[in-house]
Amino acid sequence: MNSIIFGLLAVISLFIFFNLSKVKASAKQTNRDDRTNWGTPPWRKKNHTSNRNTSSGRIIEGEAEEVNKD
Amino acid sequence: MARHAALETFGRSGNPVFGNKFNNSQGFVGSERMTLDGTVNKTGFLLGLCFFGAIISWNIPNPFLMFGGALVGFGLAIYTSFVPRNAGITAPIYAFVKGLFLGGISLVLEMQYPGIAIQAIGLTFGTLASLLFFYKSGLIKPTENFRLMIFSATFGIMILYLVSFVMSFFGSGIGFIHSNGIFGIGFSLFVVCIAALNLVLDFDFIEQGAENSLPKYMEWYGAFSLMVTLIWLYLEILRLLAKLRSR
Repeated sequence: MNSIIFGLLAVISLFIFFNLSKVKASAKQTNRDDRTNWGTPPWRKKNHTSNRNTSSGRIIEGEAEEVNKD
Repeated sequence: MARHAALETFGRSGNPVFGNKFNNSQGFVGSERMTLDGTVNKTGFLLGLCFFGAIISWNIPNPFLMFGGALVGFGLAIYTSFVPRNAGITAPIYAFVKGLFLGGISLVLEMQYPGIAIQAIGLTFGTLASLLFFYKSGLIKPTENFRLMIFSATFGIMILYLVSFVMSFFGSGIGFIHSNGIFGIGFSLFVVCIAALNLVLDFDFIEQGAENSLPKYMEWYGAFSLMVTLIWLYLEILRLLAKLRSR
């Protein structure tokens, strides 16, 4: 009985796996900003959004002033 | 993920496996690309080979087959991790020789605890199907922090196993890893959870690889990584069940 139950569990699970894995993941999964970045190793965190913000943040708006050393 | 977003993310990578492919994605126009269907079919093929190896080892018990399979499998896993381009050749051999090992180890435990092998198989595939459902539906969302956490835990477990293995040569060892006490069972449960969560990372890698049209050989690599995790999960479930049954 034990073997039948676990055998059935294995067969049903394999059936689910082979059918479900061919389906694209839901939009809730794919349309996220915090998805994993497989291009970099996990220990090297790279936040492109924040990098972009940082670089744009370097532009200081306003008029330039000449600095006199005297 | 939209194509431009993928290029933004992967295009600047320093990883030669991914970075170059995304930088030169124009060069893949007309050539074959990674798909979900292809990866799933290859996973099925590898699973079949693994079962075939296990059936041979189960019916012809031989320590040489078992430990030979484990050693060759380990070597192939390391090689394939660094040279994914050859995964089409190494992954099927890996699946077969690991099957030889799994068949042997399952038979040894089956003789001690009847019915344990089918329980471990059922629980492994049950975990696979349920986590796939959670991933596809978006209930589990792997992020960079999630990946870092799972990577750290997996690396920690690997170091612990390595230290225990080396200590065993000197007649010593880390006792609680193999004990059937509360700590031993708790440790095994933790390792099973980490192995199961590695499946989520594999699903995410395959999904993103298909979205971003990686080259065709990455289907083999995706299927191979799924097989490595599944085999690890099966072994840990087998060990956990053996601990529970030996109490």
